[in-house]
Amino acid sequence: MNNIQKKIWLLAVVVLVIMASIWMSLTFYNQKMQNQYNNILERYLVMNELTRTSQEMVTALNNYLLTPIAENLDSIDRSKNQIQKMKDEVANFKNAENELALTSYINLIDSLIETTDRSLVFHSEDGTESAMEALNEATFISNYISEMTLTIIDTELKTYDRFYRAIINQSEELNQLGIWMLLLITFLLLLYTYWFSLRITKPVEQLTQAASELSKGRFDLKIAVDSKDEIAFLAKMFEHMRNNINNLILEIQKKAQLENELQQSKLLLKESQLRSLQSQINPHFLFNTLNTVSKKAYLEGSEETSDLLVSVAGLLRYNLKHLDKTMTLYHEVNVLQQYINIQKARFTDRLTFHTEIDEGCLHIEIPGLTLQPIVENAMIYAVEPNEEGGVISFRVKDEGDRVIVEVEDDGPGMAEDKIQQIIDEEQEHDTMVGHASGIGLSNVVKRLRLFYGCENVIKIEAKIGNGTKVSIHILKKRGDDQDDKGITR
Amino acid sequence: MRKFTYFVTAIISVILFYFTFESVVDVYRANWQLPNETDQESLNNRLVLITQELDTPFWDKVSAGAKKQAEKEGATLEVWGSYGNNQENFLKQIELAIYSKMGGIIVQGLDTDEFKELTKVKAASYGIPIITVAHDVPSSESLRKTYVGSNQHLAGELIATQLIDDMGTQGEVILMLDSRKEFYQEQRLKGIQEYLKKFPKIELIETTTENTREQGIALTKDILNRHPNVDAFIAVNSNFTEDIIEEIERRSKIGPYYIYSFDDNRASLSLLKQGKLDGMIEQSPHRMGERSVMLMMEWLNNDTVPLYLDGYLTDIRMVKALDIQ
Repeated sequence: MNNIQKKIWLLAVVVLVIMASIWMSLTFYNQKMQNQYNNILERYLVMNELTRTSQEMVTALNNYLLTPIAENLDSIDRSKNQIQKMKDEVANFKNAENELALTSYINLIDSLIETTDRSLVFHSEDGTESAMEALNEATFISNYISEMTLTIIDTELKTYDRFYRAIINQSEELNQLGIWMLLLITFLLLLYTYWFSLRITKPVEQLTQAASELSKGRFDLKIAVDSKDEIAFLAKMFEHMRNNINNLILEIQKKAQLENELQQSKLLLKESQLRSLQSQINPHFLFNTLNTVSKKAYLEGSEETSDLLVSVAGLLRYNLKHLDKTMTLYHEVNVLQQYINIQKARFTDRLTFHTEIDEGCLHIEIPGLTLQPIVENAMIYAVEPNEEGGVISFRVKDEGDRVIVEVEDDGPGMAEDKIQQIIDEEQEHDTMVGHASGIGLSNVVKRLRLFYGCENVIKIEAKIGNGTKVSIHILKKRGDDQDDKGITR
Repeated sequence: MRKFTYFVTAIISVILFYFTFESVVDVYRANWQLPNETDQESLNNRLVLITQELDTPFWDKVSAGAKKQAEKEGATLEVWGSYGNNQENFLKQIELAIYSKMGGIIVQGLDTDEFKELTKVKAASYGIPIITVAHDVPSSESLRKTYVGSNQHLAGELIATQLIDDMGTQGEVILMLDSRKEFYQEQRLKGIQEYLKKFPKIELIETTTENTREQGIALTKDILNRHPNVDAFIAVNSNFTEDIIEEIERRSKIGPYYIYSFDDNRASLSLLKQGKLDGMIEQSPHRMGERSVMLMMEWLNNDTVPLYLDGYLTDIRMVKALDIQ
């Protein structure tokens, strides 16, 4: 029963079977009753007929004895044959209660025939007296037959009394059964029809509901139909479609996001490159010149100046070369050292720079020029404005699955909203003014995020007047490296 | 609400199912009981017992005995007859039995020409054996095979003996017979007469009338008028017993009269118990029925051929009113 057509067929077949069985049983009973009635009636009719024919035969015999012509003889024979035939029929009516009477009856008929024959024989032998006597006898017997018929019919009535009453009772019972059956079937059919229509309409209703939800744009509701027919198939297909739409939407969203990110990283890169180009007015010339000046200073005995110049040249070269490349933490720390050397020459005692470096972590990959802007930022806000100078601590720590790089200063700190701006990468408030590489903190944050594909890569803790601590969390194992393609490209 | 609907639905369907089932069962149970089918063989020995006095205690016993015996022998027996000595109907029944080709006819003997004609000519020509029971008809006149019943001559003697015992050897004795003077009555009469011959002081007065109630009463009246000194009544035809007693009671006490009768009357026994009857010959009707069927079957099976023509006698005895009281 898995589709609507089958259900309808089933209903029709059930109704048909019930009706057919009722019709058949009623017909069967009617037929049975009819047969019984016919039998009963036939008994009476045959016996009555027999009586009449026996009287006719006697009359015919009388006629023949009076006027012995062949015609009368024929009629005697005819009656005799008829009687013989009917006698056989009557013999079939025997039952336990009338067998004696019926046997006597049949014997009486035999006697009648014999007497008639005897009368005919006497007549042919010219024994008219004896023939008349036999006729008399035949008349008696014929009378006995009619009396006996009445007696037998009477006993029949008595014998069959119970039977007749049973027939009447049964037809009453049948009527009652018919009424009950009608009620029952009506009730059952109503129930079944109700259930049946529910089975068809309910899934349709559910499907309609689901369709209207879909049309309103709600793709998140599951379409469930409790049925096993075509509607269920429809619902399944519908559900499939919904899932597909959902998937497509998700895919489109993801693609759009990806596109967006790509665009951003491209813009960022362009910007960085532009800035670095702006600052490198013939950088090779500058670099060579710086090297020459350094050698010159060295030759003239000013070793300190020479070293400083080397540092500046190294920093310059690094900045030029490695802005868009992935570097190891080791290189970054080296560059940072050069930068600090330069700044030390500038600020002399005002700058105190502490380093705590876990050497084992230095192989970690990190986007180029990330540490320097952070330290530079600290320099600008914590050391430069302060006459007393400031302390900057730089730490590289191994913390299990990640490496933490911390830059801490004892400057005036940062306002909460400013931190938020940095975290939110809002460019207009960037602090690129005064940066050696021209790269602001926001840029670093953005690049770090893009590189690691993870939002909480940087953390800034600051209190007004109590220093700032910037920490970068680098996972040793990069979880999702599809995001950095945009950068390394 | 939902639950309620379910509940109501369930109740209705249970009720409907119950009643439908009930009526189906009723229809099936109301089976038509047709009379049993029969096997033809049981009809080989169809016997009929025909009497003039259906539904009297005496004949009821005869037919009961006969039926019992018939059942034992595997024969079927029907009891036909007429009521209240209706001779015409009685003879018609015999004729019918003959025309119906019964296997054998056991009949209460009737000493008339028509009866003899029927038994002698018709039954013989149809080859149907006839046995008389209780009342005999001479064999030579009826061609009966045998007689089963009391020795009526002896019965007469017994009555006479009792009469002498009770009354003594002197007195007027009325013998009441019916005008047909049937064979059994003649025999009874003969028995009485032969016995009483030895007592010359006993005067026997034979009276006859028709065998009806009115005639019986009229006759009794007449006797009582003509013979005021009568001492004893013997109802040779026992049907007169009631008439005698009724008429005597109307006139005087019944005590002084000696009244004797036979038990083949419906009132005899009760009158005897009341003490109105002084003595009664008790016959063995049950035995008669049994014996007659037995002999008929023997005849039909050719076990005993021929039967003893004088008849097979059954026991009789005198019952006195004193014995019962």
